[in-house]
Amino acid sequence: MAENNLCIALNRVGKTVDTPEGKLDILDNISLEIVYREAVVIKGASGSGKTTLLGLMAGLDQASSGEVILFGHDLTQKNEEQRAAIRAGQVGFVFQSFHLVQGATSLQNVMLPLELIGNGDARELALASLRQVGLESKTDTLVEHLSGGEQQRVAIARAYATRPRVLFADEPTGNLDATTGRQIADLMFHLRDQSGTTLVLVTHEAELLERGDRQILIESGKLLAN
Amino acid sequence: MKVKHATIHAYWLMFVATVITVGIVTSSLLITDRISLLLDRQASELLAADLVLASSNEIDDSYREQALRDGLQVSRSLSLRSAIFIDDDPRLIELKAVDSPYPLRGMLEIAREITGSRQATTDIPERGEVWVDSKIAALVGSRIQLGEMHFDATRLLTYEPDRGGAIFNLAPRVLMNLEDLADTRLVVPGSRVKHRMMFAGDADAVARFKIWLMTSVQPGEEIQDLENARPEMRRALERTRKFFALAIVLTLVIAMAAIAITARYTANQEAPKVAMLRAFGISQLGLLKYYLRQLGTLWIIATLVGIGVGWCTQFALQWALDGWFGKALPQVNSLRPYLTAALVGLIALAGFSLPYLVNATTTPPMQVLRAALNRRSWLRGLLITGSAVVAVFAVLMILMQNSLLAVATLALVLACALILPLLLGWILRALLVSSRRRFWLRQYLLSRLRATSRGAIYVMSGFSLVLIAILLIAVVKDELLGEWQAQLPDDIPNYFLINIRTQDVAGIDTFLRQRDIEASPPYALVRARMTQINSVDADKIDFSDPRAAHSLNHTFNVTHAEALPDQNTIVEGAWLSDSREPAQVSVEQGMAQRLELAIGDRLTLSVGSQRLQATVTSIRSVVWENFKPNFYLIANAELIESFPQTWLLSALIKDANKADLKLLLQRYPSVTLLDISEVMAQVRGIVEKASIALQFFFLFALASAVIVLLAAIQTGKHEREVESSLLRALSANTGQLYRVHVFEYTLMGALIGFFSAAFASAAGWAISKYFFDMEFQLSASVWIYSLASAMLVLTLAGTLVSRRVYNVSPMKVLRS
Repeated sequence: MAENNLCIALNRVGKTVDTPEGKLDILDNISLEIVYREAVVIKGASGSGKTTLLGLMAGLDQASSGEVILFGHDLTQKNEEQRAAIRAGQVGFVFQSFHLVQGATSLQNVMLPLELIGNGDARELALASLRQVGLESKTDTLVEHLSGGEQQRVAIARAYATRPRVLFADEPTGNLDATTGRQIADLMFHLRDQSGTTLVLVTHEAELLERGDRQILIESGKLLAN
Repeated sequence: MKVKHATIHAYWLMFVATVITVGIVTSSLLITDRISLLLDRQASELLAADLVLASSNEIDDSYREQALRDGLQVSRSLSLRSAIFIDDDPRLIELKAVDSPYPLRGMLEIAREITGSRQATTDIPERGEVWVDSKIAALVGSRIQLGEMHFDATRLLTYEPDRGGAIFNLAPRVLMNLEDLADTRLVVPGSRVKHRMMFAGDADAVARFKIWLMTSVQPGEEIQDLENARPEMRRALERTRKFFALAIVLTLVIAMAAIAITARYTANQEAPKVAMLRAFGISQLGLLKYYLRQLGTLWIIATLVGIGVGWCTQFALQWALDGWFGKALPQVNSLRPYLTAALVGLIALAGFSLPYLVNATTTPPMQVLRAALNRRSWLRGLLITGSAVVAVFAVLMILMQNSLLAVATLALVLACALILPLLLGWILRALLVSSRRRFWLRQYLLSRLRATSRGAIYVMSGFSLVLIAILLIAVVKDELLGEWQAQLPDDIPNYFLINIRTQDVAGIDTFLRQRDIEASPPYALVRARMTQINSVDADKIDFSDPRAAHSLNHTFNVTHAEALPDQNTIVEGAWLSDSREPAQVSVEQGMAQRLELAIGDRLTLSVGSQRLQATVTSIRSVVWENFKPNFYLIANAELIESFPQTWLLSALIKDANKADLKLLLQRYPSVTLLDISEVMAQVRGIVEKASIALQFFFLFALASAVIVLLAAIQTGKHEREVESSLLRALSANTGQLYRVHVFEYTLMGALIGFFSAAFASAAGWAISKYFFDMEFQLSASVWIYSLASAMLVLTLAGTLVSRRVYNVSPMKVLRS
């Protein structure tokens, strides 16, 4: 695997947290690589460390040991400010609970990450992104007035709006019914196919698991299958 | 662990808010009871009794017998004008004959000579003795003749509690024993004598006796009580009471706003726990019992602590107020303040918390656990609002009883609580539509503020209410007290020169001018009674205001003036004019209201045996408490200058000029000097003490405001952390996060400051006009204080408390 094709690389990564009962290892000695345009699905039981792993890969959290390389940067050597700068415009997120800004419209929610990185065409790019997820008629609708499926579409449009090199999704269909979840999954993979964005997905859904290029199984903080 | 920590924190805030509420009620009741007692006693001293029956005729002994049967003390006095001879010159005096135990309230003060020390005494002159006031101090030690008897003038009478009323008419006082009066043979049929029967006792007995007295008085007999004591002191005392009532109500409103906001915060924190317990099958009744036990425990502990805090605070207040009128605050031995405080705490806590509790236990768990399903319910909103209104109303009625001020304050609170959220929501919407081009940062902030799920508008409204109350207490208090004090500047006249003969007016004027003594214009005084209004006998007119009789039964001074006197304002009609009919009169506004007079009414006045008629051409407002010559009726000169008259003027006589007074009196022996600096000092003292006492309520208000601020900031803390972590995940840097909070709090502060200033100005105007009878000038300081304090305090406190938010891991958004 060519070095410059590497999107994410984890080398002997561990994550330990302090608890009242002592130190708790959430992740232990994880090593893996993800190349650009790959769709990787992370699965595992509740509490196995999936979300922590996703957070470390995205630079949302700091590893306790080992190396986390994102776009060639060693995130373990960076502080939160520097990690945010690396993420800026290159990383998109889709969350289980959508995490949209209440009181704002669909369009405004999609414009937000573009404006945060100082993109002058935020409005046009956001409109284009909303068109891609089929919400061009709901651009001025307050997000709290949208259905769950529509809210997740807005979240996907927001994630893709900056044309990220990698998109991290944490249980993106977890709060949706089966039909809507399937539609959302279709949309995510469709956009990924169109844009060539690397996709890292945490899920329990069997259908989503099957659609990934590769599956990673985590159990009790250890990598069991890659 | 975090949920548990937050919950404890929420209960803690609610506990502190309840402690403050109970503390305010305890201390304010303790202290206002004590102040009221002191004020009542002080006012009683102005009458030298609790109740007085006055008449020009001898008062029947049946009143005395009834009063004694009711357990009251009784005393009698007679006063009349007489003359004594000083160096063979007759001198008009006010002779007063009293029996022991006069005075029933207050004490006489005497001295051996004019420079001697004053001494309070419960004695009255012995038989054969008289005491004389400072205007005829030279007589002490000599024998004087009164009627057919001679008396030894043994003491200088330096203070007489009930010497007041029409201070311009006072001739020098001579006080004697009532038992000597008959022997003087000064009182003969037809003598103009004022008889007073004075009564004092405990409040209930006096009230009972007053009711009996009101049904028993005969025509010509007048009941005087605390309500119609000396006007300048009465107004000062009334204002003080109103200031206290206003300060207590407003402070309480803030404290209750703190309970309301903390109750809401606690309920929000508890909601997931309640939902979880219900999901596990705990019954609604079981949950209700559980939370009622918790609230009950909180109430009991907060009440005990609050009562302790209030009890301790009264000592600080006592320390500040001690020496009011030179006396210590009397003790109040009653459980009422403590029981009322406990009841108020319970009502406030229950009124604001129970609706949330009922809501939480009746809401389907899924609505709580899945916030997306959580829709607002009008019924729940109504329950919360209705319960809060009932609680506020109940508390105000318990504390203020039927006070109009309390009801008006409640109306103000309700208006603010209902109108403010609408206004804030409207202005946020208006700002939102003003620019849709860019989202970050302004639109982002406005969207967040407008989102009802954050309760931002609720918190902003609560905070505005608190700020309005604080502004009213602090700024409006300053405005009102300032204006009150402005009516008593240091350079106002401290002496009245009365009994000036017409031929001496010019000479006295020159005398004062040569010595640079500031003086008012001289005013002629013609004694008159109002006998007819529009040719109808005044005593046959049925007036709705009971005080009308008082205005008609008394003679009063009519003066003439070319120019409108200082601090008089024409409220209706036009000032006296030469060009119109010669018989014109300008009437003081209060008298016009009492006697239902209007422009164009014809008044008939009797002056001695003569009668004159005049048309009301203007109605004036008068600042009675300014210690300047003020008049009910001012006529044009042509109308009254032919009647017998004396003159008066007021002057500011500084210490350096005091020696000139002797010369003045030698040159113009008819003149009587009236020193009013003591009365002025008393009124000034009331204003200053009231101001100090109000500062304590202000401290309570500030303590409540801090709780509101903490609760307000805590309320959105969790959401703010999740938002910050989302923005972090979306690549926002620390500067962008910092700007979010600074702008959010500054914007909230600006809106809160703006609306608070607007509401406080409107409320200040209404309170000044309708409750304090004062002019209210719209002050820029209200706006400056309001905007600056709201923006500064919210921005500083908000960003300080939110500083942890900048370090929140973006992982929080994944975990939430």
